[in-house]
Amino acid sequence: MNTEFITNIGLTHYLVLAALLFVIGMAGVLVRRNVIVLLMSIELMLNSVNLTFVAFSKYLGILDGHIMVFFVMTIAAAEAAVGLALAVSIFKRFNEVNIRFFEHLKG
Amino acid sequence: MTADAFLFWFLAFVTLASGLSVILMSNPIYSALCLAMTMVGISALFVTLNAFFIAGVQLIVYAGAVMVLFTMVIMLFDLKKDVQAFTKGKFTGAVKIASVGLLAGLVVGAIAMSVSLMGEKTTDNPVMVGTGMETTKALGNILFSKYIFGFEALGVLLLVIAVGAVALARSKGGTHEH
Repeated sequence: MNTEFITNIGLTHYLVLAALLFVIGMAGVLVRRNVIVLLMSIELMLNSVNLTFVAFSKYLGILDGHIMVFFVMTIAAAEAAVGLALAVSIFKRFNEVNIRFFEHLKG
Repeated sequence: MTADAFLFWFLAFVTLASGLSVILMSNPIYSALCLAMTMVGISALFVTLNAFFIAGVQLIVYAGAVMVLFTMVIMLFDLKKDVQAFTKGKFTGAVKIASVGLLAGLVVGAIAMSVSLMGEKTTDNPVMVGTGMETTKALGNILFSKYIFGFEALGVLLLVIAVGAVALARSKGGTHEH
């Protein structure tokens, strides 16, 4: 049995792990109906992208990926704040945070 | 098996398991706790990639601030009975899961096929981005010289977001009459 894959951790392992995390987040966005859980799944996807950035940054020896991670983190925090404000707004109106109430939003 | 490999597999297991629980738990507060666990796991993965400062920021910003925001909002709502947590319809659900699986297969296959093309530099890690404080020092240098405009734009964005979030939370929800 080839144990090289298990004992020798390289770039591929991190990339595959990040891809799997991204796919989990995407499944959450598609399958769940709760707005808050949807936002959490989006955070999961952004985190997996961060993992890809840092992995490439290390294995190529360039530091720019870390800067991108900073930017993504800031955008993610801002997006969570706006999304949760929207969720609060929806909850005030309908007393529930289900994504199907978003079709009533106008203006 | 070396310590590095064991650490990676352990962290990968923890991260994937808690990431799966985020979307499988029907109670949102459990989802939030699992997401915090995922953030901690990803932060530890950053440490294994020698990105110590990023790992600290990840812990403070995500596992601290963003998760507190989520749990606060969840506690604000009365979500004991989360009716219809998942999408209804078995067929559409199966189609969604199948599409997600297809995407996973495509991405993993693309990675597996393209890694051999990326040259010797990527197979092991001869190039270290520096150890410990050197990375942080270089990061600060590059952030305030090469990426200074992006940094300033982020500051403006955060200001706009703060004002917008307050304005959104104050509104009564849409332009419908109540």
